[in-house]
Amino acid sequence: MASDVGASYQVARQPRRPARYWIARAVLYGVLILFALYVLVPFMWVVFTALKSNLEIAQDPLGLPPNWRFENLAQAWNQGKFSRYFINSVIVTVPIVMLVVSLSCLAGYGLARLKMPGRMLIFYFFLVGLMVPFTAIMIPLFYILRDIGVLGTYWAMILPQTAISLPFGIFFMRAFFSGLPYDLTDAAKIDGCNDFGVFRRVMLPLAGPAVAALVVFNFMGAWNAFLLPLIYLQSDKLRPVMTGMMFFTTRWGPDYSMSMAGTLIVMLPIMLVYLVFQRQFIQGLTAGAVRG
Amino acid sequence: MTESIRQFFANRKLRDYATGYAFVIPALVMYVIFVVYPFFYTIYLSLTKWDGAKPVKEFVGFLNYERLFADPRLWSALSHNMIWIVLGTVTPVAIGLFLGVLLWRGLRGMVFFRTVYFLPVVLAPVAVGIIWKWMYNPQFGPINSTLRAVGLDVLAKGWLGDPYLALPSIILAGVWGYFGFCFVVIMAGLQNIDMEQIDAALVDGANGPQRLWYIIIPGLRHVLTMITAFTLILGVNVFDIVWITTRGGPGRATHVIATYTYNTAFRESYVGYGSALAIVMGLVSLVLSFIFISIRERGGD
Repeated sequence: MASDVGASYQVARQPRRPARYWIARAVLYGVLILFALYVLVPFMWVVFTALKSNLEIAQDPLGLPPNWRFENLAQAWNQGKFSRYFINSVIVTVPIVMLVVSLSCLAGYGLARLKMPGRMLIFYFFLVGLMVPFTAIMIPLFYILRDIGVLGTYWAMILPQTAISLPFGIFFMRAFFSGLPYDLTDAAKIDGCNDFGVFRRVMLPLAGPAVAALVVFNFMGAWNAFLLPLIYLQSDKLRPVMTGMMFFTTRWGPDYSMSMAGTLIVMLPIMLVYLVFQRQFIQGLTAGAVRG
Repeated sequence: MTESIRQFFANRKLRDYATGYAFVIPALVMYVIFVVYPFFYTIYLSLTKWDGAKPVKEFVGFLNYERLFADPRLWSALSHNMIWIVLGTVTPVAIGLFLGVLLWRGLRGMVFFRTVYFLPVVLAPVAVGIIWKWMYNPQFGPINSTLRAVGLDVLAKGWLGDPYLALPSIILAGVWGYFGFCFVVIMAGLQNIDMEQIDAALVDGANGPQRLWYIIIPGLRHVLTMITAFTLILGVNVFDIVWITTRGGPGRATHVIATYTYNTAFRESYVGYGSALAIVMGLVSLVLSFIFISIRERGGD
């Protein structure tokens, strides 16, 4: 395979393709399909297991479900209180994304384009936050949240998740705003815009793609967060999907069909959204790495 | 009072500064209250003995830190993080590079393969953990069932129950979850490689491995540094997938620093000692960040 590296281009230009070309093609596709199966086969077994009864799993753990028991999904949905968990996830995720994006845009713009003493100092102060892992602050945060009286409310997740997401958001938006041309701001200022007007009317409309990437990134971060709600949202009434799913599968441990049905319920929506907005997802989630 | 405020705003420079700070302060306040202050609070807690409930935190100086050095559980957890970092970096980068080079020049079905490879990346680590806990299930799990079905019963193992196999098994599950990320980033990096260099190398008779080693990998230097930073952070911070699959067991065979810290502070209620562990974790992150930044600065010129 290795001798084919970068060479297919040359070969593909020849009008008549030798047998060697077709063999190389077949091996190439074979390898690609093998890795696709590595990704897809576990999903397939989750679906199969979720739609069997436990007896059917014990009799034939690998095969297709003999009867496709879609009622398993309904049963898991009801018994697992997943409607509650999904609502909770939405209630915490939406304000987190809105807060992170708006605060990051404001601060990122300020640090990129506005004059103030100590601007670089403040920027580096935020950057240090990129190096602080959540684990290093999770213990006292519990007692801080308790003392300000938000433990037992959704704020116990919204506030810390927003704060730990800010350093990256500010870093990202500052880099974006720094790259915009200065003529635009100058023109708007001559037309009588103040700083906030320039930000809102000229800069923010240009920031669409960057904001979209930040939204996807933070939505995924908040939706998929696990340790944070495990510590701060312990009440079952407040539990979001991720910790809810853990408690569900633990409770139904040996009931494989129920726990896989629960897992499927949690996975399906995000996978469908991904398949529709595939490009935005890939851009948003790799934005940090590709840009940085 | 009102006069001085009016004067303040009459001064154009000061007014500009005030506008600048107004943009920054909301984020700054959140950041200071919920990140910076807790960080120093962790340092303080690490110098105390406290169970999280008593009204008094007993100040013990550096006692917790002295205990750290003699704690074999800490060193075993850190060694598991090291294994995570090495295996969890090398494997996905190797897979990503391999697939990236194969798909590089474009191919029919390219979008399909990219969509599939990236699919697990959108899943929560919790979901990845639950899926693989089922895959590894000793009794009915698909891996053991498949092995038995093809007559390889000897290879059917209690993957997550075996102290030697558990950690690599979890890491491979983690790699399944994010190799697609490495693949996409490498693909993006490959687009920036100069085709003329490759063609020139072809003319000079460079073979595949030579082209890979002398042109492609140096061309991807920046991208590979970014991915390594990402997998490094992941390897230091990993918690979710370990907690879901094994909770650190069997014994302590899969405990990493994050699960050990969480367990100590929140389940065993040794808040002071847990905080000292949290500080160790902060230091490890800090040191690795500095190493990474200095490598990047050097590679930048």
